Amino acid sequence: MHVFAQPFWAPRGGNVDSEYEDAVWPESAVEGQATSFRFAVADGATEASYSGIWAKELVHYFCHDSSDAPFEGGGFRRLQERWSEKVSRRPSPWYAEEKIRLGAFAAILGLTLYEGVGQNGGNWKAVAIGDSCLVQVRGEEVLARFPLADSAAFSNRPHLLSSNPAHNSHIVAHLRTIDGTWQPGDAFYLMTDALASWFMRELEEGQTPWRILRDFDTQDEVKPFREWVESLRAQRAIRNDDVTLLRVDITYRAYTAGLQRSYPESEARLPRPGVTGRPT
Amino acid sequence: MPYTAEISRANPSCFLFLIDQSGSMADPFGAGESSRRKADGVADAINRLLQNLVIKCAKEEGIRDYYHVGVIGYGAHVGPAFGGSLAGRELVPISEIGNMPARIEERIKKVDDGAGGLVDQPVRFPIWFDPVASGGTPMCQALGVAHHILQSWLSQHPACFPPIVINITDGEATDGDPSGPADAIRRLSSNDGEVLLFNVHLSSQRAVPIEFPDTAVGLPDQFAQLLFRMSSLLPAYMRSIAQQEGYRVSEATRGFVFNADIVAVIRFLDIGTRPSDLR
Repeated sequence: MHVFAQPFWAPRGGNVDSEYEDAVWPESAVEGQATSFRFAVADGATEASYSGIWAKELVHYFCHDSSDAPFEGGGFRRLQERWSEKVSRRPSPWYAEEKIRLGAFAAILGLTLYEGVGQNGGNWKAVAIGDSCLVQVRGEEVLARFPLADSAAFSNRPHLLSSNPAHNSHIVAHLRTIDGTWQPGDAFYLMTDALASWFMRELEEGQTPWRILRDFDTQDEVKPFREWVESLRAQRAIRNDDVTLLRVDITYRAYTAGLQRSYPESEARLPRPGVTGRPT
Repeated sequence: MPYTAEISRANPSCFLFLIDQSGSMADPFGAGESSRRKADGVADAINRLLQNLVIKCAKEEGIRDYYHVGVIGYGAHVGPAFGGSLAGRELVPISEIGNMPARIEERIKKVDDGAGGLVDQPVRFPIWFDPVASGGTPMCQALGVAHHILQSWLSQHPACFPPIVINITDGEATDGDPSGPADAIRRLSSNDGEVLLFNVHLSSQRAVPIEFPDTAVGLPDQFAQLLFRMSSLLPAYMRSIAQQEGYRVSEATRGFVFNADIVAVIRFLDIGTRPSDLR
């Protein structure tokens, strides 16, 4: 299986890059070949502190874990302890101490691709807590929307995964999973909620939003990602929030010579558009 | 649509608390079955409101100035009630409030240990106000001062999320009928909607606590009924959050509580994603 994955992100309008609290893995574009891949996006909650760190820990952990139940058990518990150690190193004012005690929160969406037998595709599985979403597109058809499927389902009060075990006691009830099959040529779009909500609304209005997402950083791009997000915000077509997109293309073959190292070791940055073509 | 303006550092909103410091606040709370005075209830309510508002705006790098906050006391005097280095100031950015409590006490809090049990944990509890009880209840005058402060804020922040005024009192104004001044406050507006006026009634009456009612029927006395009528209807977005938080609300629900906790209002504020598992 040959995969090309490229992340795009923008902080909430009015915030600086260092205040961005979503997370994505891989953090830069990668192309590689392997029998399985893991990808993830996460969205740290605005109202908690150190949510960005928690979101980053979560995507890294998911993509380097191989278990079917990554958010339970000892490995996850150690992740929570690591967050707590990281944020408690310095003495804090009373309000920061209270925020640490409450814990950080994040939505997470993780996708695993498995290679099948032969050249005809394979299976995929996804897991989600919260409102970060995945869409699978084949040709000009949306095959899957997960875990939310319509724009009305998004709210500002989702159930999220916490760094504080006390807040996760009912999390199993809010954990969603799905599986499906992929074929070479399929694309997966992993999105945090603001973008996902826009995508679903476009679909509901009979539009083809994947055409915009698939063109970023290619010769067909109309506007660079950040500029495009800014224009949606100006039109109030998207909620002002951190925005993250991870585009995963499953290709028929490598289309950049010399980049056939296996993932995740491959940290290769792809050349800018105009040099890198997309599979046709 | 009203009440949809984003609350941000570039476009902050405003909170104004009016606290009754009159002599009658020295009376016991809830028909004397407890030794707590109403003035203790007021001090506790305002300290917890400020604490929750600061925590809501706190991020790892410090407190973000999403709100400017004023506290007007009314009793023997009417005017800004902050002490210490904030004394005399009408509206203060929330970061300064968070960093300048009068003192910080240590209290023991029972917290969930994540394994089904509770453990005692020491927590730092900031105090801005101590109980005060002297003089009359010049509520009309306090509402007039609030009106003046808000007018000036709104002229400087015409696109802000509408300011919220929370009046904490035992309800018995001594300088006339507060309905008129309350109406005048509720008629003030930004481009995003009218100012919201909420009332907290702390009474000596033995009566069941009431939170966010949608009718005056069943309220225990005429003061409660008056404060209910003076209170704004909860806007649609707050009703929706209140519903998610488990309150029974209707379109007639008002921002009024009787002998009950108003801190829930802070949870109704929207500054971005709030986990529904965080209570």
